[in-house]
Amino acid sequence: MVRIKHRYLLVNILYPDSNNVANGSWKRPADDVPYTVQFRRPTPDRMDSKLLARLVRDGVSELFGDYGSGMIAGSLQIKYFSPATSTAIIRVSRDHYRMVWAALTFATHLPKPVDLSCVIQVVRVSGTVKKAEEEAIRRARLSIRRAAAIAPTTDLTLGGVGAIDNAASDDKFSNGIEDLDDDDGDDDDDDG
Amino acid sequence: MFYDLNIPWSANDSNLNRTLTFLHELGYTTIALNHTLSGKLPSDLTCPILTTLPNLPSDLTLLRRCTLTLTDSHSNARLAQLAQNYDLLAVRPIDEKTLQQACTALESVDLISLDLTVRLPFWFKHKLLHEAVKAGKRFEISYASALHGDANARRNLISNAAQLIRASRGRGVVISSEAKTAVAARGPWDVVNLAAVWGLGQERGFEAVSGECRSLIVGARLKRSSYRGVVDVVYGGEKAEVKKKEKEKEADAVNDKAKKRKAEVLDASNAPVVSKRQMKRQQHAAREAAKLENASGGAENGEKTETIPKA
Repeated sequence: MVRIKHRYLLVNILYPDSNNVANGSWKRPADDVPYTVQFRRPTPDRMDSKLLARLVRDGVSELFGDYGSGMIAGSLQIKYFSPATSTAIIRVSRDHYRMVWAALTFATHLPKPVDLSCVIQVVRVSGTVKKAEEEAIRRARLSIRRAAAIAPTTDLTLGGVGAIDNAASDDKFSNGIEDLDDDDGDDDDDDG
Repeated sequence: MFYDLNIPWSANDSNLNRTLTFLHELGYTTIALNHTLSGKLPSDLTCPILTTLPNLPSDLTLLRRCTLTLTDSHSNARLAQLAQNYDLLAVRPIDEKTLQQACTALESVDLISLDLTVRLPFWFKHKLLHEAVKAGKRFEISYASALHGDANARRNLISNAAQLIRASRGRGVVISSEAKTAVAARGPWDVVNLAAVWGLGQERGFEAVSGECRSLIVGARLKRSSYRGVVDVVYGGEKAEVKKKEKEKEADAVNDKAKKRKAEVLDASNAPVVSKRQMKRQQHAAREAAKLENASGGAENGEKTETIPKA
């Protein structure tokens, strides 16, 4: 049975730039919102998985040319994307995941309609979607707890971006090198 | 433990706090703020970097680093002075001759950081790099200029970095960001992946952001604070107000294994004629002990101890 094996990259999109305006739809956070919450703010709704896929494909094409584009074309898929938590799970074929990872690292802006400067951080590389999802949930929980601990009284809605107070429910937690470990796996798709 | 040893520092930088907090978010625990100098060294070499900034995460360690662009030839003595004022001293050679100098001649250098975004007119040689690494120096790859630069800068960085990795055989390489703003920083594992794409294996890549950096910092600290890199007195057991003579006698006692301390003190106080050889030995021992105490920074006395321990 010859199966194509994949790698699932769990990815965070962070926004460290204080000058991001995003064509007017992005409000400046109030001054007492701690940096750590600002960095993990939600992504505008205009951003969706199609744009993210475009970002990855363009990045790979720029860095690795036609070869790279060809190699990942068949298997690249955005499995999950949540603008509220600025998290995504991207599927790549196992042999070429580093190319996609490098393209994500080199990305500096979200694509045109959104046009925000950002930093993309790959947080986990997993052989199965399930593990990637579990990790995403775990991180979301931790970051809520963390944000609640930091600023229980501050208004965490970042001046009105997304009335949902998802400002806090973002993933985090690289308190240790523990989870930033790669390759969860040569335990490839056990569920198939 | 992840290290980012190159964050450019400039006076009155309002974004510094943000950048440092972001780096901490990404996972870095120790950061070196880099002050760049070039050309002739100013006469006042004190370090302008403040490492106690308000509102920083508590487990973030800041170090002070200076990068000197090697345009003129510098004497090692001046560099040694410069090195004393910072925690790390880096140099930026601009051509083959200065690279040679940095690798072999200049001893107070800790880190060799080349500008890898320009086309270098020379190749890296295994032997030269190996010699530098043996002496404790490390080579630095800075990635931020490639992220935000143009395509040429990127291409040059990749080509030079790959060359450097190959010539150094993966050892002695340190990767850092040189990020002027938070947007140019990347997480440590992302950086390890980039290095992997450029030819540095996973384990070496991990070392490049953690272990190698640590050994560099510790080595630099030992160069500055310890006695010939062998003895670093952490707590010298200094007593606050102790009379000069007694201190010496105690020093003698410490170095003299044969006799008991109390006995020695008693003996020495009514020491009869001491032979010349014995005298010399005692003086030498006192000097050694004083050097150790001075090195540990407990030099409240700061006195010379070459006195003859006679009543």
